[in-house]
Amino acid sequence: MNRSLARAIAIGAAALALILPLFAGDYPLQVARNVMMYMALAVTWDMLLRSGQISFGIAGLFGVGSYATILAVVRGGMPDWLSIPFAGLFSGLVAFLIGLVILRLRHTYFSIVTMALGEIFRIIIHNLHDFTGGPEGIVIQQGVMFGGKSSHLYWLALGGLAVALGASYWFDKSRFRFALTAIRNNETSAKSSGIDIFRWLLVTFVITSAIQGMIGGIFVQSYGFASPDSVFSADFTLLPMAMALLGGIHSTVGPILGGLLLGLVAEWLKLKIPYGHLVVYGVMIIVVILFMPNGLLGMARKAGKKAAGGQRDQA
Amino acid sequence: MYLVFCVAATVVLILWKPTVLIYGLQTAGLYAAIAIPMGLVLGIVHIVNLAHGEFMMLAAYGTYFACKALGMDPLLAIIPAGLITAAFGWVIFQLTIRRAIKAPELNQLILTFGLAIAFTQVINLVFTSQTYKMPLDYVSSSMDIGELTFGTWSFVFIAMAILYAFGLKFFLTRTTSGKAALAVGQNPKGAAIVGIDVYRIYGFVFALALALVGAMGALFLTKSAIFPSVGSPFTMKSFCLVAMAGVGNIPGILSASILLGISENILRAFRGTRGWADIVFFVLIIVVIMSRSLKGRKS
Repeated sequence: MNRSLARAIAIGAAALALILPLFAGDYPLQVARNVMMYMALAVTWDMLLRSGQISFGIAGLFGVGSYATILAVVRGGMPDWLSIPFAGLFSGLVAFLIGLVILRLRHTYFSIVTMALGEIFRIIIHNLHDFTGGPEGIVIQQGVMFGGKSSHLYWLALGGLAVALGASYWFDKSRFRFALTAIRNNETSAKSSGIDIFRWLLVTFVITSAIQGMIGGIFVQSYGFASPDSVFSADFTLLPMAMALLGGIHSTVGPILGGLLLGLVAEWLKLKIPYGHLVVYGVMIIVVILFMPNGLLGMARKAGKKAAGGQRDQA
Repeated sequence: MYLVFCVAATVVLILWKPTVLIYGLQTAGLYAAIAIPMGLVLGIVHIVNLAHGEFMMLAAYGTYFACKALGMDPLLAIIPAGLITAAFGWVIFQLTIRRAIKAPELNQLILTFGLAIAFTQVINLVFTSQTYKMPLDYVSSSMDIGELTFGTWSFVFIAMAILYAFGLKFFLTRTTSGKAALAVGQNPKGAAIVGIDVYRIYGFVFALALALVGAMGALFLTKSAIFPSVGSPFTMKSFCLVAMAGVGNIPGILSASILLGISENILRAFRGTRGWADIVFFVLIIVVIMSRSLKGRKS
């Protein structure tokens, strides 16, 4: 695929996403909103994965952002629009403090500790009953943002996705790409080339966590409610992972592609199988890892190479 | 130094709150018996099995429905549960994990995470999130020493943990297959050169670990209610214990479990701190990581 065609497709898709509320009804917009939030989480998960570190803690940082927003609004009287960047800032700060410790150990150890994050934050929210509303959750009294107007909420979620994609694009075009790829490929040689591994990982962890927290803020602002079981739900870890893996990791396009496919399927499955629809994602993760570790994008690239090779043979 | 501290802590606990010590040791037994098989897999197959607790959950569900159908006591099911879980684990190993052994560590983690989700959600799909519990009278047996009253059934977990730790030690150092497994764990290439079928050993060790986990699943059912996500905290706590002990150090898992079990029960003893008990393992693992990284910097 040549570059100008790719750019034209990207601009066309962005324009279509922007004007969708002009002709789509409330339900499609709500589905689109959820899909975009999951997609943003998928892209940010992938950004950290590019350094070779897997986080199982998406739901944890998403939930921290959710609670930061709702508590700032309900307890602190913060204006709606400010509470979303605040969620990003707060999650970033939390990620910084945790990252200082847990990024000392990497790979498996890092992954498993992040797996515990969601659970830990949930216990904290449970126990700080008076401040957080405890297990019953907490409601924004004045209702959701923009009076619940679905087109505005859609654009808000689109904005969140744009931030995630922008960051991912920036990672791809700046020194981040080289640093993270070097760390992923071989830490020893990365270190000997003068890369401060710990610093790059920490910065990446903080940025991706901040975006995940911000998406959490957008989530509660569009539903007006947060409870430990809803915002720390394993869905928010599982679905983004499955999306990025299916689409193809280490890229911006892969998670978008996987997100579109799986997001629409997810909404449909949620209606068909209310209990246990997540089994599909578990099985999908297993199948993708075993048989197509580079995802759909990797398969497309392979097919493209084969086609190109075939043409050369004929000539 | 450590010994003095341990003795002092024990004396303080006996004088201050003996039940904390007793329940702490019982919890420790449960944790250790579940963590030891994970340590075995990590030490020899070098795979972190994120579906570890979920395998136990599956064994507990299987035992529950088998016992319900046959009117059997779960205690009788311990050995069959172990054997069936081992067979099931061996099949899962051959179908999935075996293909990922040479893959990067990341793929293995994501793969076993996928297994964990698939197991939990299949149970969720079939049995919903309802809890199941076996009504058994001997579980509530208790003992009095002076003014002190405490439940005695959970001592069985301590017995199980000690049996697992010493049984495995015997197996790994005294039997031929155990020695072969140890050799594979230390150096798979070298083991292959001297004629050990490495993949067969991997499958065997994985199945053995799952036999231990499956037996624990049946035993766990006697004491606790089960629900689809009952296994996942055990996956994390087991990993925490194995990491604290250091890979390959099975007796270390016992002492790490005692530390975790007693700390949790100290918090559980007070109304105000009861809710925080499940956070202890996270704090412990952070402390361990911090102290290791400080030590590493010194040397």
